[in-house]
Amino acid sequence: MSYWTEVRPREDFYRVLDPDGSPIRDPPDVDEGTLRRMYWAFVRSRAFDEKALRLQRRGEISIHAASVGEEAVPIGTAAALEPGDWCFPTYRQTAAMVYWDASLAKAFAGLMGTEPETTAEHLDEEGEPAVNFSPPYVPLTVNVTNAVGSAMADRFNDRDTVTMSYVGDGSTSEGDFHEALNFAGVFEAPAVTICHNNQWAISVPTHRQTAAETFAQKAEAHGVPHDRVDGNDVLAVYEKTREAVDRARGGEGPTLLECVTYRMVDHNTADEDSVYRDETELERWAELDPVDRFEAYLRAEGVLDDEAASRVAEEAEAAVDEAVAAARAVPESDPQRMFDHHLHGESWTERHQRAELRRELAGENPFVDFDGEGFE
Amino acid sequence: MSRGDAAADVASDTESWNVVEAVRETLGQEMRRDDSVRLLGYDMGPIGGVYRATEGLYEEFGADRVIDTPLSEGGILGTAVGMAVRGERVVPEIQFMGFFYPAFGQFMYSLVKLHERSGGGLELPMTVRVPYGGGIKSSEYHSESTETYFAHTPGVRVVCPSTPAQTKGLLAASIRHPDPVMFLEPKKIYRGEREAVPTDEYVLPIDEARVVREGEDVTVLTWGAMLRHAETAADRVDADVEIIDLVSLSPLDVETVLDSVKRTGRCVVLHEARRTLGLGAELSALVNEYALDHLHAPIKRATGFDVHFPGHQTEDAYLPDAERAEHAIKAVMSYEF
Repeated sequence: MSYWTEVRPREDFYRVLDPDGSPIRDPPDVDEGTLRRMYWAFVRSRAFDEKALRLQRRGEISIHAASVGEEAVPIGTAAALEPGDWCFPTYRQTAAMVYWDASLAKAFAGLMGTEPETTAEHLDEEGEPAVNFSPPYVPLTVNVTNAVGSAMADRFNDRDTVTMSYVGDGSTSEGDFHEALNFAGVFEAPAVTICHNNQWAISVPTHRQTAAETFAQKAEAHGVPHDRVDGNDVLAVYEKTREAVDRARGGEGPTLLECVTYRMVDHNTADEDSVYRDETELERWAELDPVDRFEAYLRAEGVLDDEAASRVAEEAEAAVDEAVAAARAVPESDPQRMFDHHLHGESWTERHQRAELRRELAGENPFVDFDGEGFE
Repeated sequence: MSRGDAAADVASDTESWNVVEAVRETLGQEMRRDDSVRLLGYDMGPIGGVYRATEGLYEEFGADRVIDTPLSEGGILGTAVGMAVRGERVVPEIQFMGFFYPAFGQFMYSLVKLHERSGGGLELPMTVRVPYGGGIKSSEYHSESTETYFAHTPGVRVVCPSTPAQTKGLLAASIRHPDPVMFLEPKKIYRGEREAVPTDEYVLPIDEARVVREGEDVTVLTWGAMLRHAETAADRVDADVEIIDLVSLSPLDVETVLDSVKRTGRCVVLHEARRTLGLGAELSALVNEYALDHLHAPIKRATGFDVHFPGHQTEDAYLPDAERAEHAIKAVMSYEF
């Protein structure tokens, strides 16, 4: 029975917790509040994904990419950041933003297709998270180069801020990945790059993605320190990320961290994973679920009991419901919003096209200007 | 005085500079004025750039302000975006316009997009310097004039100077501007043509066309290195030619263009880029849509041809010159609806 898609299917990564949740080495120094916060983020992220999937099926949102199965990566890595740090995520790290208390309502509004200006106008009472998040990137891997630039700015200004960014295993095949790591190495940028090796880049398995034995070793060519970690073990992810963040903050440059995990759901709501992967693989990975593993550890440590778990789950449901209600209460975006925030100032072209749209929406013929002055 | 006439606006000492000297002096001036201005690109350090446009700046400002990067256009543009997001005023250089293609992903995905994508939350004050154009007998992909790719894209300004004094005012204004700007430097006129440039700081509007010469019979729309050919042709033809230097290739100063063509009734577009879907196509369409009643003749486009930029034995035949401009002007003057 195969459940690894890698060339080298060995569990040769750093691990703190066994799949059953029992420590196989001394856990990292994490205070109880942080442990609770991690668990809280796991539960809340999963509630968010479940709700988003339901809304997608009802047609309220067009598409969603869930994190189910790989939340230990965004949560363990985000927990290693400090307020004031920067993060350039993709669409697969909602849980990292959840950990830092980013607005769920804004996230839902974004999924519902509301223009960001409209969202900001109507949900402006929501605070910004203490870690700075760029908007989640949809095109793959460009975020890593931007993150390295952000880190370079910190290095040039002697600031001790750290910038983190994320890629999937597939993204390590893009040129941007190598350009970014090369710059990070050359300029000793305080950039921590996290690779979710979730075994599948949509339908392409890892052994088809690369002939390299690991994704971590791709950093070797760029002189960037790298590590490989069990991506379903949030404590291992946290510990190795914390080391990388501390090194970056201390002026010792970048790190690439490969987190070996598994995407337990479709790539997104337009995908159909049953076409390309078999059920036994999914069943095997379900046994390695990062939430179950962490929960077992917390219960054994006495940090979590039935009552606390129920409370966290109920609060998560309530928070998600409240966020959906708030997002639904945001009015439809004025179509004129599409013209916003392209350039500062104004131009004839923008004024004219805004007027054309206004006329079209008013049921008028927008093509009746024959001297370029009628719409001013 | 024409709008955007640099030297006339400023009372200060002047020095005789060519375009590349104007670039260098302006970069130094802006870096002294604002610590957040950083240059990055390939060969920018000790050698001072392949055109010496950054000569002396590495020595003055050091390796953290004049950043010699790995050979990677995507890396240059992508890291510059990240720095800009964090408040740096970055001036990356892409050595030749024909080398821009590896950076196109970063251009489309982040440079032109992040401000809009963030609902205005992220600012990208960047000026990407791109030497462009032919006429320098260089090798493949060193003579490209593909400004259409940039002008077709929302979220970015495209600015092109045509004289040393204008270069200084436009480059300073671009660097200080909150928008990303593609600053196209016509390298054919980098050297050789000098003029008195005010040494004091000044900025010029980066969104206004410049009426270089007023005339009543025909409007010539052009920019960059082609301007001088338009002027030569205007001297040769038996017509009163109005010449407009577009300056801002995106967004276009449509009012200035339409005002002129409505007055003259005739229009020639002169550009060295390939013709099909070059900027001449857009200008011609604008005139057709909004000034048709005023036209006495079809618009003609004197341009490069729809071929890959040819080898240097052939490039003179490819590039528009005063003669091609003259033919186009005579043709539209000879026609009457």
